[in-house]
Amino acid sequence: MVQIIVQIPTEGKECKEWAIVELQGDLETRHPVPLNHNFIGDLHFTHQDAPVLIIGHHILQGKVISLEKPLAVLTKCSEANDSIISAEDTSSLSHAAHRSSYQVKAIIKRKILFKTRPKPIIAHVPKKL
Amino acid sequence: MASEKRNGYKNRTLPDIQCVLELAKLESKDLKPCVQCLFFSGQLENDSFKLLELDEPVLQALQSGKKVEIRGDPSENAVLVTDSATYELKEAETSNSMLMLPKLTFGPDLHGDGNTEIINREVTAVVHNYYELRPIKPKLKKLRALLMENPYRGKECEGDEQDTYQNHTFAELQSTVQASDQEIKAGLAKINACEIQGFWRLLDLEYSATVLYHIVQLCEERNWFIEGLNMEECCEVLSELFPREVVEHMVRSHSKHDDSCMETDNSSNIFYLSEDKICKHFAEMCLRHSGKFNLSDFLKAWQESVPHDMKTSFSQIQGMALIDRDSNPEVIWYYNVDDLPEDINERFEVLFDEKKRWSLEEITPYVRDLTDDKTDVGALLTKFARASTQNGIKMFSSRKTS
Repeated sequence: MVQIIVQIPTEGKECKEWAIVELQGDLETRHPVPLNHNFIGDLHFTHQDAPVLIIGHHILQGKVISLEKPLAVLTKCSEANDSIISAEDTSSLSHAAHRSSYQVKAIIKRKILFKTRPKPIIAHVPKKL
Repeated sequence: MASEKRNGYKNRTLPDIQCVLELAKLESKDLKPCVQCLFFSGQLENDSFKLLELDEPVLQALQSGKKVEIRGDPSENAVLVTDSATYELKEAETSNSMLMLPKLTFGPDLHGDGNTEIINREVTAVVHNYYELRPIKPKLKKLRALLMENPYRGKECEGDEQDTYQNHTFAELQSTVQASDQEIKAGLAKINACEIQGFWRLLDLEYSATVLYHIVQLCEERNWFIEGLNMEECCEVLSELFPREVVEHMVRSHSKHDDSCMETDNSSNIFYLSEDKICKHFAEMCLRHSGKFNLSDFLKAWQESVPHDMKTSFSQIQGMALIDRDSNPEVIWYYNVDDLPEDINERFEVLFDEKKRWSLEEITPYVRDLTDDKTDVGALLTKFARASTQNGIKMFSSRKTS
């Protein structure tokens, strides 16, 4: 059987907190180019702390939500780490082969949810009628 | 101000942002002066992250640095275990896009006035699924099946032609049984397994009967039923016949546990054997291989088999034997709850196969182990059985129409 250890690397102390911005649907570019380095949008907060996100010509009004159950961000441990673990673990050699581990990279406790339909920005209003 | 140039990004300028705000017909005076510009990272790692929804106890376990493990087998669903609990892992998908941001400032932490500030924020992954945890009762049936393969029949039988050498250490059980360590330990205790030279073994029934017989003899000889059994002395006397671990195990597993005086006497090595447990053992010896047994004959044989001064009673064999009072003569037969399926549906099917109608009193010992904090025996029966009244007694039968 496969046994995967899940742990916070610093022995549980002081785990980073990440955040999620959740959008309805998918983000797509007009042309199929890699998303890397691309600008997504401007995130503002009103004085009442309500989030406003402007993506392209869409205005999104959102809400900050505290997650009822926090999310752990898990990453698989690199090969290098694995070999260190199995080297130390010579007592249970037969299991070392199957052992891998996930690290809790961060915990997510809050997200900004944009669930309403985006409002369009009408950029080019004809000046002369 | 934000750093002027970061690798690969076209930084947003104040005029860019203000132009968009104007087009959007938003007034900058309504907004906090800090703008967070979201960018996709140069290295999007959509597949290298997994999101796991954490229950409070799991989060606490992780934060206190305790062991949390995912255990899976190609043939079984993966589970997550903490020290004490088991959870089913379920993948949940969402059509929403979740953008993961290692850094983000929320409204209350931003200044309400001052100069406009532009901060770049990186999205390192876009995720559409996460794993949910649901607490489950562990499947411990496997534990018994594994240990049944090679029961311990005494040190002289080790290595004989019947020995399959299929023995298991605790670490091996951990890697085979999908349950937390505490649950495995409780499971081992429940099936009465004994650790012999590092391996967890079930004692062969005949063998354990022999050991217990010797212990009982010794108790009668030295008046230990009344005065309490001296563990040290008991192991010493029987050391030529049986390994110390086995004697100690048999004494412990047939002692009174709920007794509060136990705790204090444990250190002084004094144990009080439990009448109920000893009587149950002798009943098992009588019934195990004998099929249907005439009830009054059994009761007589059973009472004669137990040590003097011990009294047999039906309550001792609840969940181990069934009685048919409608047949003539009345009969009893071996029917152990430990041999029945763990799955609730299967359990009820098997029970109603064995016997069409059960009274509450009869069925309770056969379903009690399926209950949890939320579901008691009554709730289980409401859901999985049909109730009817027969001669003024409420009886339970299968929901399936036959």
